[in-house]
Amino acid sequence: MIFQTKLDFTQAPGTIMHIDLNSCFATIEQQANPLLRGRPIAVAAYDSPNGCIVAPSIEAKQLGVKVGMRVREGKLLCPGLQVLPPDPVKYRIVHLKLKKLLQDYTQQVFPRSIDEFELDLAGYPAYTRGMMVVGREIKQRIKAEIGDHLTVSIGIGPNRFLAKTASNLKKPDGLEEINRENYQAIYQQLVPTDLTGIAGRNTRRLNLVGIQSVWDMYTAPFAHLWTAFHSIGAYYWCLRLRGFEIDEVEWGRKSFGNSYALPIAYDKPEDLSPILTKLVEKTGYRLRHHHYACRGIHYAVSFRDGDFWHQGQKTKDLLFSSREIYQKIHQLFIRCPYQKPVRNMAVSVFNLSPKDDLQLDLFGGTIKKENLYLALDEATRRWGRFAVTPARMMGTDNNVVDRIAFGGVKEVEDFITQ
Amino acid sequence: MIQTIDAPISVITAYNHLTSQFIPVKLKWHSREYTIITIGFHHHYRQGRTLFHVFSVATEEMFFRLELDTETLMWRVTEIADDLPN
Repeated sequence: MIFQTKLDFTQAPGTIMHIDLNSCFATIEQQANPLLRGRPIAVAAYDSPNGCIVAPSIEAKQLGVKVGMRVREGKLLCPGLQVLPPDPVKYRIVHLKLKKLLQDYTQQVFPRSIDEFELDLAGYPAYTRGMMVVGREIKQRIKAEIGDHLTVSIGIGPNRFLAKTASNLKKPDGLEEINRENYQAIYQQLVPTDLTGIAGRNTRRLNLVGIQSVWDMYTAPFAHLWTAFHSIGAYYWCLRLRGFEIDEVEWGRKSFGNSYALPIAYDKPEDLSPILTKLVEKTGYRLRHHHYACRGIHYAVSFRDGDFWHQGQKTKDLLFSSREIYQKIHQLFIRCPYQKPVRNMAVSVFNLSPKDDLQLDLFGGTIKKENLYLALDEATRRWGRFAVTPARMMGTDNNVVDRIAFGGVKEVEDFITQ
Repeated sequence: MIQTIDAPISVITAYNHLTSQFIPVKLKWHSREYTIITIGFHHHYRQGRTLFHVFSVATEEMFFRLELDTETLMWRVTEIADDLPN
């Protein structure tokens, strides 16, 4: 590959807009309950002292509460902190309303997570009105049409990466652009960790070659970047910072999976097995709902002491029934050599094929099995999730509850319409 | 303080045919009548085929999460909060 490294900042106009809903879950809770507005609140996976804070409100952030902190730590920093459990349905509805609103400006709307969208306005009439004008209008419409308490930070740039970087420049409620005129001034203010994708280890590598700021990174000879990253990543950073697009990748569906962070540290198979069943039931239903079958299964478990064990297996037959998937995953489950308190369990299926490719077998009764699962899934659609469940799942009503997946927004519509 | 419950509740609603808006305006809880001042958020979800409409509403000093089962047309209150922290 030939690296073209002597490049100036791109001449391309800023047609990409990145929209980030500020303190998403917490702000939506404050939108729903006006009595919480102006107060430090946090949405946490569990409201117990060890629960993980997933979204502090803007007021809580100002007092030092951060994502990833334990509830206990948050309350130490902010004794009046109101902790709320997540309400995924509400967040998905806001996501869908926002998506619908943004589609008035362009059909090139790409959800990046539950609270982040990318828009490409190139070639759409809205672009001719000016990106800043459109940005301000979107902010006003969100307040008028979705919720008066909701604020978004909007970034504009010539590529996805710079649009996202611009959206991080001012929070909350920002509207910023990185372009040919201002990139130098902005890069001089930023350190490498301000860039999405650069954390501690990469910063140390950059520091070793004398790069302290993003401006240093931009002006450094390519050889220095190569020395720091030792990979094609060096070239990608070179292009990103110059406004060239290299992140326009849409990932297809490769697997289905569900995981669960246990609030109680179970270690015995008889306690963990019903949770495993529920995880498999959820995964199996999603697999069939999207008309897939699989030829691979995977089980992963992490323990309270920090240990981790996982195993995957390819299967000879195409699997689609939750029962078969459970049988295979259970074999992995009992192979785990450790019996100690569990923090997290995860199951997934991979090597997907369309379910229409099912091979009829002479003795196995594939059609009978398929019809049975069609009936079971129909009962689920009529009566709701877990209308019919295996007896193994008894006692798991409060386990494996609905959660928002980090980054994954492929099935948001399904949750609302089902 | 926020309290999660699940109980039937009496709700007075209004429908405006010009704006196609359907909103709860008053509710009666524990023999006391509350006038709804703000509808913070309205959303819906499905449980199987049954559609539920959820109204997060605030009165002068209380918050109620009201759910309307569109199959039975019954209202339930699923969350109550006052403006005191937990």
